[in-house]
Parts: sequence; structure tokens; C-alpha cells
Amino acid sequence: MASPAKAFGEAPWKDSELLECAMVVPETTDTATFTFRAPSGAWFDYKPGQFITLDLPVPGGNVQRTYTISSSPSRPLSISVTIKAQPGSTGGRWMLDHLKPGMQIKAYGPSGIFHNQCQTGKKYLFISAGSGITPVMSMTTWAWDSGEMPDIVFVHAARTPSDLIFRQRLEGMADRVPGLQLHFTVEQQDPFQSWHGYRGRLNQIMLGIMASDYLEREVYCCGPEPFMQAVRDMLVALGYDMENYHQESFGAPVRTEAEAPVLDDVVPDESVSAEIVFAASGITAKCNETDTVLAVARANGLNIPSGCTFGLCGTCKIKKNSGEVHMVHNGGISDEDIEDGYILACCSHPMGAISVEV
Amino acid sequence: MLNTAEILSQIAARPKNFSLSHDLYCDPGVYQTDLEEIWYKEWIFAIPTCDIPKTGNHATLQVGDYPIVIVRGGDGVIRAFHNVCRHRGQRLCPKQNGSSPKLVCPYHQWTYDLDGKLLFARDMGADFDPSKFSLKPVHVRTNGGLVYICLADNPPEFDRFGGFLDDYVSVSDVTNSKVAFSSTIIEQGNWKLVIENNRECYHCGGSHPSLCRSYSDNPLMTVMEGPNAASPEILEHWARCDAAGIPSRFVNQDDMQWRFARVPLLNNAESFTMSTKSAVNKLMGRMPWKDAGSLMLYHFPSSWNHFLPDHAIVFRLLPISPTQTEVTSKWLVHKDAVEGTDYDLQKLTEVWINTNDEDRRVVEENQKGILSPAYEPGPYSPHQEEGVIHFVDWYCRKIQDRLAPRPAMAAE
Repeated sequence: MASPAKAFGEAPWKDSELLECAMVVPETTDTATFTFRAPSGAWFDYKPGQFITLDLPVPGGNVQRTYTISSSPSRPLSISVTIKAQPGSTGGRWMLDHLKPGMQIKAYGPSGIFHNQCQTGKKYLFISAGSGITPVMSMTTWAWDSGEMPDIVFVHAARTPSDLIFRQRLEGMADRVPGLQLHFTVEQQDPFQSWHGYRGRLNQIMLGIMASDYLEREVYCCGPEPFMQAVRDMLVALGYDMENYHQESFGAPVRTEAEAPVLDDVVPDESVSAEIVFAASGITAKCNETDTVLAVARANGLNIPSGCTFGLCGTCKIKKNSGEVHMVHNGGISDEDIEDGYILACCSHPMGAISVEV
Repeated sequence: MLNTAEILSQIAARPKNFSLSHDLYCDPGVYQTDLEEIWYKEWIFAIPTCDIPKTGNHATLQVGDYPIVIVRGGDGVIRAFHNVCRHRGQRLCPKQNGSSPKLVCPYHQWTYDLDGKLLFARDMGADFDPSKFSLKPVHVRTNGGLVYICLADNPPEFDRFGGFLDDYVSVSDVTNSKVAFSSTIIEQGNWKLVIENNRECYHCGGSHPSLCRSYSDNPLMTVMEGPNAASPEILEHWARCDAAGIPSRFVNQDDMQWRFARVPLLNNAESFTMSTKSAVNKLMGRMPWKDAGSLMLYHFPSSWNHFLPDHAIVFRLLPISPTQTEVTSKWLVHKDAVEGTDYDLQKLTEVWINTNDEDRRVVEENQKGILSPAYEPGPYSPHQEEGVIHFVDWYCRKIQDRLAPRPAMAAE
């Protein structure tokens, strides 16, 4: 019997060698994990959170697709990607339909700057949505395999409980490591299945309950851009230091620092002056971008009925006539109302000059 | 004010096939009993699902003393709750229809999720446990695009009726319709008089000139014995509907609490319009012909309905006092039908707006006469008022069963 040490070669895998598909394991509906090995026996050297580029022979010509790696380099004998067929996808769809064990494909990498070898003593907050779970899964497996007690709050959003990728594996780890705390939120329940987790879009209130010490945690976020945008807005509004925020889009993974998108999020700045015209009252008030419309109204003797003051109850809904606000609400206003020009005064910051119907 | 024994004795003393006594129509004690034994225990038609098509849409109704709110959640599920804040009891949603991402009490802004969970209550202290103060749920059933609610802890059986709703009403695809017009009127009459008036067409010739253009007042058009026994026109209509896969034949609950049947309109009339032609260009659901007649559905105590090829009208009555009843009518059309292009609102609604008002006057005059000490019960027509007899018998049996349940027979 060969000793384990001889099961893999001396050198790490290089992308000059084709990868052989070794296993295909279904994860959820339309999601599967593909595991590859190097025919030469080479092992895999990468950092948890990085991605690999696969050259897929789809009908009509090869396409290159990047996928964040869902396995961990602490288990170097193979490498895995976990694919969810997004609507309209060609590469992912082809893999789910056609890629079978024994097939060999060309691959490049691994690469990417979104990685983290969780350090002992540091606190992490992983936030992911959909198949954005793969890089943080890799990081979590790494932390587990390190043998040291990790401190990770793992937040994941999915459409339904049955869409939660790696649920059992994560629960298996979390059952044995007190420092790994799982929090799942889903948009919809599965019929005839009870669900005890969170429901609805991730919001500031949930975040506060999931990780009350989020300000002290290093955040790693991965998911569709609108999801990550919402997470950034939440964190900014909560006063989080964005120096400690890292993100990867599962749509377009980033190779180098230079490729990293500049996050030009709207961040209200205390030093920037703004102005609110309260049209019905004939009052014009100077203020800063960091002031809320509600606070400026109050300071000028106007009363907008309000309740929670953090964008949940919707009592302070008012019509905006012109200008832009930065609003981070917690579900207290519908998308239709926002389209129609309504804002919640309690969580809206004027960006420059605005006019409201108060 | 009548007590239980007096109510039972008046029901027992009722001559067969005669109208009810003065007290059974007018007395506050009887009214309270009607609420407690009928309205708070039976399934009640509330709204069509298309009344609240989107997340956060809600509709309210008042069943006796109970304000109720029906809301569509983020998961698309329709739920009903007691419309009462768990803080100090404020009515949560004051309007008949509304829309908001959360249900928020206007008094102190206690904020509930659309599934009834309390999400936020300001300054309630560290020991406050919001999970103990969810909105109280009300039983809901949704079949065929219609929403029924029941206030009882243990609602009566619904499945058989629900199955027929799915079979008969789904043909009109009410789920994919919209409310083109809604009207609510108050009739100064007891709720039982409102139903009695609806259950016969003895009065139609004298009262409903616009309805009688399209709707036959021949009593044979509504009296049916079963799925294979009716007037020749109806049997012919059913055969045609059978062939097209449209469930049409007469089905009913044994005690006549509800009935479904599709009947032809007069002289191949297409719709309840002054011209007798369709009011809406886009037919509803999978109706193959413009002259498919009306699927007539009634359900005691709260509703009658007409599902026509081009539109549907759902009617809901709710008691307000011994001598006042609210009647809400909603005209439904295909959800893609455009007002002004596919239909003219006035042409769509005028016949039943007229008819409702004519019925209101009939009921109010009826109530005025019954309030007279000179009133005494009179005989129903065996040819024309069989439907009224069904209703009155159903009502009396329900009250008797609930106020004085018959002892179980030892050896039946």
C-alpha cells in the first residue's frame, strides 16, 4: 500500500497541465461541486478565497470562466469549484450538464487577491449570498483545518432553505467549534419545511443581532454586486471602518489590486455642506451630508411624524421633490415607493441640495 | 331583547315555509346570537386574491365586533390577522385597502412583519420579549382566487367547498384578474333580509328593469335538483359546457349552505350589460365563448357571486346592526384589460350598480314593514322562493344546533 506521502508528487500543480475531473457532487438544485485532480499527482497550492479560470469547451467555441475555489489548500490533493447555474449562464450550465469524471480540461491560475488565512486571535465576519459562499467556505475550512479555535461569524443569505449551499458541512463544523457561528437568512420558506432562521433581506437589525461586535470584526463579503452594495451601505451607516472590509464578486473575480473596482459608494461626509428645502413650509436649511432629513427638520422647528428612527417602521415617509439622498433603510419602504420619489426622513442623508414636500 | 330560550322557542314555533318572526329580524338579542353562532363560526368570504396582488398589499373588513386585516406577505402567502395592535389595542390598519412594507400601528409605531411577527417596539425595556406579541392569526383559506376567513378556534370543514371553488371558479382564473371597480353600500335592513332578497327572482320583474334585459326571472332557471335534473335549456347548456371542459353542473352542500351552477343568460345574452353584449373585450380565464352564461355561486352567510365570460362580480355582505348590512361588490376583469380600451367602466358596472340600489330599496322597505307591530310572517311561494326557504331553513337549523345541540342518539 502506498503511503499517503507518496499519493502526490513533489511539485505543486502548474497550469500547463490539464485538470482531470474526479468527482461531481450535487449540492442543491442546480448547484454542484466539481473536484479536479492533476493526472501527474501534483498537489494544489493556493490561498483560501482565490479563484481558478477554467477553459470550457462549450458548443460554438471555448469560453474562459473564473470560479472561486470552494475547497481549501489545507487539503491539497484536489481542487474544487462549486457551480450554480445562474440564469442565462453558458459555462456553468455546460459544466452541470456535460462535465463528467474522467474528462480533462484546461485551467489557469489559481489567482486573486481576495484571500485570508484566518489568524488566531483575530475576529472575522463573513457575509455571502448565493454561490458567493464558495470563497468564505474555503477560508472557513482552512481555519478549521488549522486546528486552532477560529472566531468567525458566518452570515449567508439564500433564496430558500433548500438553496443553502454547504449547510450540512458548515453545521458539522459549527457543532464542534464554538467560535464558528452560523446565521442564515432566506427570502422564502420551503413548503412543508419548518424554518427557524432569519427571513427577509439582510438588514442592519439582523446584522446587529447576528454579530453585536461587528465593528471589531474583519469583514469578507462575496455575492452579487447589489447584495455587496447593500452590505457596504449598511456597514457605512453603522460607522464601520471600511479599511477592514474586503469583497469579491462571484460574477467577476479580481486578479490584482489594480483590477479591484474602486468602491465609489456614496458615503455621507461631515465636512460637506448640503441644503434642504422644505417646500410646503417655505424653509431652507443649511446642513451637512451626515445629517438626516428628520434631524434637520426638527432642528428647524418642523415635525415629521416618526417612529423607530432607523428605517423600519416607515412612519416618516415623505415625498422628495428634487435632489439626491443617500438612504439606508431596514425594510420600512417599498421599492415602488422609492421609485415614486418617496424617502424615509429618518435614514436619508441629503447629498447636496434637495427639496422635500414637508 | 330575546334570550336563548326565547330565540329557540320562536324558531320552533315557526310555521313551515313562512317568513321569520318580527324578533328574528329585528331583535338585538337575536342579532348578537347571529354574530356569535353564525358570523363568528362560519367561513366568510372576504376578498378576491387580486384585491391584494402584491407584497404588502392589505385589505380590512369588520366582522361584527372583530376588525380583521388580510395581507400578502413577501413570500406571496395571504394571511389574516386580528387588526388589533398588541400594545394598547389600537386598530392597526384603518383603511379598507392599503399597502406598506410592514404593518405599523399608527398610535405608537409598533411595527409588525407581514407574517404578523412584532419586529420593533420602541423603549419597551430589556425584559420585553417581542416574540410574545405577534399579531393574532385568523384562519384563512384561498381557493379559486377567493379568500375565505373564519374566526372560530376550530373552523368547520372547508375542503369539499374549496375543491369545488378550485374546479368551478378556476375556469375564470380569478388569480390573474384585477378589481376594475368596487362599491360598498349600507342597506338599512337585517342581513337575513338581504340574503332572502338575493335568493329569489320573484321580485325581479317589478324591480330590476336593467338586470332583466339579460337575466331570466323564470324560476326554473335557478331551481335545480341535481347534476342531471334541470330545465331543458340548462341541461343543454351543461352538455355544451361539459364538452368544452367547463365545470357547470349543479353541486351543493347537503344543507344548501352553498351552491355552484352555471346557467345561460336570457336569449344568449353575453353579459350583465344594457346591450346584453360583453362589457370587456378580453375574456377571463379560459372561457371559450362570450355566451357561456353565469357561474352562480352563493355561500351562506356572506356571499353571492357571478362569474361571466368577460367579467366577474363578487358580493360580500357583513352585518352592522340588527337592521343594517354592508354590501360590498367588486367587479373583476382580466388583469391585462385596459379601462377605456378593453372596457368602458360605466357599461361594465351600470347594471349591477342599478340592481344593488334597487335591491337596497326593496330590503329597506321590507325592513320598515317588518318593524311594524302589525307584521306577521307570510308564506313563501313554493314555485318562486325555494331559494329563500333553503336559506331560512339553513339559518334556523344552525341556530338550533348551536344553541341547543341535539343529544347524540345512543343507537342510531
